[in-house]
Amino acid sequence: MKGNTGKIVNVDLTAGRIDIETLPEEYYRKYIGGSGLAAKLFWERANFKADPLSPEAMLMFMNGPLAGIRVSGASRSSVGGRSPQTGHWGDSSVGGYFAPELRYAGFDGIVIKGRASQPSFLLIMDDKITIEDAAEYWGKGTEEVTRTLKGKYGKNYRTLVIGPAAENGVRFTLILNDGHNTTGRAGYGSLMGSKNLKAIVIKATKKERTLAEPAAFEAMRKDLNERIKGSLAANVLHEDGTAANLLGGMFIGDVPIKNWTSNYWEEAGEALSGGSLTSQYLTRRGACAYCEIACKRIVEVKDGPFAVPEGPGPEYETIVSFGCLMGSIDLAATCKAGRVCNDLGMDSISCGGTIAWAMEAFERGDLTLSDTEGIELKWGDMDTVINRILPAIARREGKLGDLLAEGSVGAAKKIGKGMDYTAHSKGLEAPMHDPRGGGQGMALSYAMSPRGACHVADPMMFMEMGGKYYPEIGFELILDPRSTENKALAATTSVALGAIENSACFCNFADGEVTIPDWLNLFNYVAGYDWTAEDMMLAGRRVFFLKRLINYRYGLTAGDDDLTPRMLEPARDGEVKGVQVDLAKMKKDFYKLMRMDPDKGIPTREALEDAGMAEEAQQVW
Amino acid sequence: MEFWKDSDEAVRTIVKLQEEAFKDPDLGPALKKVNQLILYDYTESGPGCAVWVDCRNGQLSCGAGDPPGKPDLVLSLSADDAHRAWSNKLNPIVAITRKKIRVKGSATGLLKLAPKTKRTAEIYTQLLKDLNMADKILK
Ligand code: SF4
Repeated sequence: MKGNTGKIVNVDLTAGRIDIETLPEEYYRKYIGGSGLAAKLFWERANFKADPLSPEAMLMFMNGPLAGIRVSGASRSSVGGRSPQTGHWGDSSVGGYFAPELRYAGFDGIVIKGRASQPSFLLIMDDKITIEDAAEYWGKGTEEVTRTLKGKYGKNYRTLVIGPAAENGVRFTLILNDGHNTTGRAGYGSLMGSKNLKAIVIKATKKERTLAEPAAFEAMRKDLNERIKGSLAANVLHEDGTAANLLGGMFIGDVPIKNWTSNYWEEAGEALSGGSLTSQYLTRRGACAYCEIACKRIVEVKDGPFAVPEGPGPEYETIVSFGCLMGSIDLAATCKAGRVCNDLGMDSISCGGTIAWAMEAFERGDLTLSDTEGIELKWGDMDTVINRILPAIARREGKLGDLLAEGSVGAAKKIGKGMDYTAHSKGLEAPMHDPRGGGQGMALSYAMSPRGACHVADPMMFMEMGGKYYPEIGFELILDPRSTENKALAATTSVALGAIENSACFCNFADGEVTIPDWLNLFNYVAGYDWTAEDMMLAGRRVFFLKRLINYRYGLTAGDDDLTPRMLEPARDGEVKGVQVDLAKMKKDFYKLMRMDPDKGIPTREALEDAGMAEEAQQVW
Repeated sequence: MEFWKDSDEAVRTIVKLQEEAFKDPDLGPALKKVNQLILYDYTESGPGCAVWVDCRNGQLSCGAGDPPGKPDLVLSLSADDAHRAWSNKLNPIVAITRKKIRVKGSATGLLKLAPKTKRTAEIYTQLLKDLNMADKILK
């Protein structure tokens, strides 16, 4: 096999067994790699009755075919399985350095089942794989564990580490790569923690990989890298990070404020913008493997209540979720909160969303001092958030910590109040982009994304901005973010392209310059898929369909493709005052165009058969 | 050119627009925050067809032709597309994606100005009226 290695590592932690499996080549052509391949393996191997935190649950780390090819943005990987946060299919993309190392070690993925009898970690040195004792690391933060493991094995050993929150079964937990890069969404830290697996450490001695057409690939690589590096997005992301356009987003009403009750706070836009972070706290820039964009921030807050030593800094999502979403414009606090979340092992989007929800619940009297055991939840009180609430959640300490550890949806269910002012889809807290300002199409993306509300499940957000178009496959629409016109049509391209991006494990900040011919060349020169544009788009659609089928088997239907009343109410202020999302219309059109059943929310039998999924069709129809 | 008599008319009008923008209580301070030397390069519409705006060091100045130093940011487009852009009838991201506008240099300053496009268009429309060019106003 070219590009991919064709091999995955199967680990059974209960039995302490490790074996190497060769996958059929056909799996790759049909499901691309990354989260697509993970979904394929899940579909055929998972016990759908198993609780997401039971030993039987599958935890999959999966590379795309492009890992390690020395192209900016191409070396991410995916984590997938039944989400402990939402209870259905989920996946999460992670940057950093894990993907190339796994590829160089000779593998496309790791599939973990079972539960170790004691805290353990997985050590992979090329093809030598062992389960090691992690008792000394259990209960410790990701920073210390990463440092200790790197100190013991070497700086170039790549690490995936969970924090105490994951050990304690908090719903929204992450896995941290090399101390900086997170698989933030859908709670896979807890899945790993439920297996008594504290870390994965990996090192490959050689940096070799076989490509289908090395000369042709090398000829395109340089040009593609130059185009990516020279693009407007790269320029801005490098300079001021992912929060570079926070102020612009504020003006168009894209940035949620105070638990999605407001769409405009100019002072926050200025104070929290990427430019402010650059001028006040940035010390260096960081990058994922082979990425010349280097959008990652290294920051230091020298003094004040939120001082943090030099280390990984917050990106846009953390800045907003621990900034204006909680009614704060304290940029230093976002630096500190991001660091604490990483160390405790919690996803800053869901964690921030849950705390902002709790602040509103407290203000309304739906949460009382008795529920919080005397902790006052006040907008903008970042001292209480960082020093009391975050540690309490991570340890499930006290009534409040235990309640919020369930996430906003779980907490609202538990107290029997406040569901209408949660902001999520399918149980996953929404990212920090408000479709009322950011674009109606994004609302459709949030609702249709198999893992739940997600702005990177597909490129709709960038399409609505005008930043992506694909004339080679007939997508030349100029979309008006405020209108629903053509959004369902655009989404038919967008969901397929999103599945391609996420299965190729390509960063969506970097792939604005990747044209359809580039995508084809990448897949064909690297992995020898021998695709036409039609084959590629069909593979993307197939991956989207398969994830929808997995969710259907978990009982999800079209009724779950929804947003909350808070997200659907008219915007209250700013440029978008009065703007409402018309989701129902877009949904109806989307199902029709995608040949999906409008009640079940899955593709029709015929649509599945046409996508080469006759066997899958038989199981659901 | 679709909108301009010649490149001289385009340059004169756009320089005047910058001068009006400097005086605006909202745009003036916003421009100072950009802190860059920007070159709007319209030379594809004719030789010398270019406007520079210097927002460095808390000062604001502008002119036609060659900029007073190496620009931090160069935006290359046609004078007609410039007219559309200043009229807020050309989405700059769409134009950049479709290569109608080419960007060279640090574009972070542009982001600071992005929220001000509506106000700029208002000033531009008024200016066109004042200069007896109301026929150029895009509906
Ligand atoms: S753009 Fe940023 S997140 Fe994406 S690959 Fe590069 S450094 Fe990583």
